[in-house]
Amino acid sequence: MPHAIGLAVGPATFRIGSAWRGPLAQLRALYADYPAVDLERQVPDFTVRLQPARPWRRFVRPSVFIAGDYWLAEAAPMALEHGLLAAEMGMNLQMALGWRRHLLLHAASVEKDGRAIILTGESGSGKSTLAAQLGERGWRLMGDEFALLDLETGAAHPFPRLVSLKNQSIDVVTAGLPAARLGPRLEGTAKGMLRHLVPRRDAIARMHDPAMPALLLFPRFGLPLAERPVAPGEAFVRLTQASTNYVALGEPGFRALTRFVTGVPARALDYPDGATAMAALDRLWAERA
Amino acid sequence: MSDGGPERQSPDGGETVPPTSRRELLRLGAAAGAVVLTVRPGIAQAATSVLNCQIPVPDPARAGMAVASDGTMVPAGTQDAFAGGRVFTGEQVRSGLRGGNLPGTGYEESQAYLNYVRRLNHGRSGFTCYASLMVPR
Amino acid sequence: MPDAIYRAEPPEALVRTSLGAIDALYHRRSGTTHLVAAPMPQILEALAEGPADPSLLWQRLSARFDLADDADAALPALRERLAELEALGLVRREPGGAS
Repeated sequence: MPHAIGLAVGPATFRIGSAWRGPLAQLRALYADYPAVDLERQVPDFTVRLQPARPWRRFVRPSVFIAGDYWLAEAAPMALEHGLLAAEMGMNLQMALGWRRHLLLHAASVEKDGRAIILTGESGSGKSTLAAQLGERGWRLMGDEFALLDLETGAAHPFPRLVSLKNQSIDVVTAGLPAARLGPRLEGTAKGMLRHLVPRRDAIARMHDPAMPALLLFPRFGLPLAERPVAPGEAFVRLTQASTNYVALGEPGFRALTRFVTGVPARALDYPDGATAMAALDRLWAERA
Repeated sequence: MSDGGPERQSPDGGETVPPTSRRELLRLGAAAGAVVLTVRPGIAQAATSVLNCQIPVPDPARAGMAVASDGTMVPAGTQDAFAGGRVFTGEQVRSGLRGGNLPGTGYEESQAYLNYVRRLNHGRSGFTCYASLMVPR
Repeated sequence: MPDAIYRAEPPEALVRTSLGAIDALYHRRSGTTHLVAAPMPQILEALAEGPADPSLLWQRLSARFDLADDADAALPALRERLAELEALGLVRREPGGAS
């Protein structure tokens, strides 16, 4: 690969190789505040490669195929202007398929007073948007895509990558934020319009500070406000579906997940908009103290 | 689970005495739904098998060297060593480790490459893939 | 036809954690996780006292619980539950019938 950059996010390090300069230049700019990774001295955990589907597709109707230590044979190639998105998806794929050092949940997480809220749900549940909004209002963003649970202690370890904002949530979250914290507007992606948000400086600086989970939240955006407790059994089942490595981890995964659902209260929260959700969370947070 | 057993009035009237039987209720017959749920990998996990990952033999940093029968690297052209230059999937290596031959190779060449894989350690390309094969399921 | 005798898996074969209303079971040999609701955890507990045929198991359960089933429905129901547990590898059947 002619071009490559190293990235460190939480406990994981990546080498992103690319046949094209453009996506890497964008990554370099957006990850400027992140710790440096010297690829000459350090062997990264994962390699992601942005490569042309065929050699000539590097120049003619360029299309990006995501490759790396782990890849999806059936994945469709992407347009070059979505190269930044391809790199982010490539990193997600490496973590989802290859990370074994923690129990991985598809979840966002935020921290306050040394304790974490884990927000889990499917795409469209609003967890990334809500986590980003909380991150701008006094909470430390630990991550919007993956929550990493320590297999021994149950602590949540930060993994604060660029936050993926989609469609309407882009303007809602990014209003008033400096341009340096925003990636390019990516139109026509598989999920519609997409824009990346760089986490705040202190969230990046504290990417190695874990926090014990104090609340597990199942948010659902776009519904009238409603809240109910979720029993540990239901939480367990839903989290096995939200984990990419629960089965592969075997017994340590079982112990970590049962410890999590029996030790951390769970709530389902339906909410019509971010402001309402944040007010509800402030109340829940005060109640647990 | 509700408590069973009736409450009783105490002999001097007025106060109730806790029921003598406080055993939980248990129904053996099938309830309106299954009572066992077996966890299956999510769709994402099933579709994106870890066995798609790649192990190059040898790793690109050592391209141009040959693989001896014990899996160590030797100069190209060494007698009884194999040229390498192949890339195998995790699934192929896993079959090989269980006794099959790696595709496109004879028995001895296959063993040389498998020994190479067994010697991989952190830092060599393909190690992550190999390590993931070793996680007990 | 005498009823089969059932035996619990040895204690080290399963990791069992209560999640309140349901139990989570990890079957070590297969790496499979099962979630079981009543009456399964209670049946497994009763079987842990020692191998038993359905009739003996029913006696153990009656001693500890108020059984909601009609008297003639309880034993057939218990046999069904045991067959389900056996199919999942969570209990096993001894060869031969009741002694």
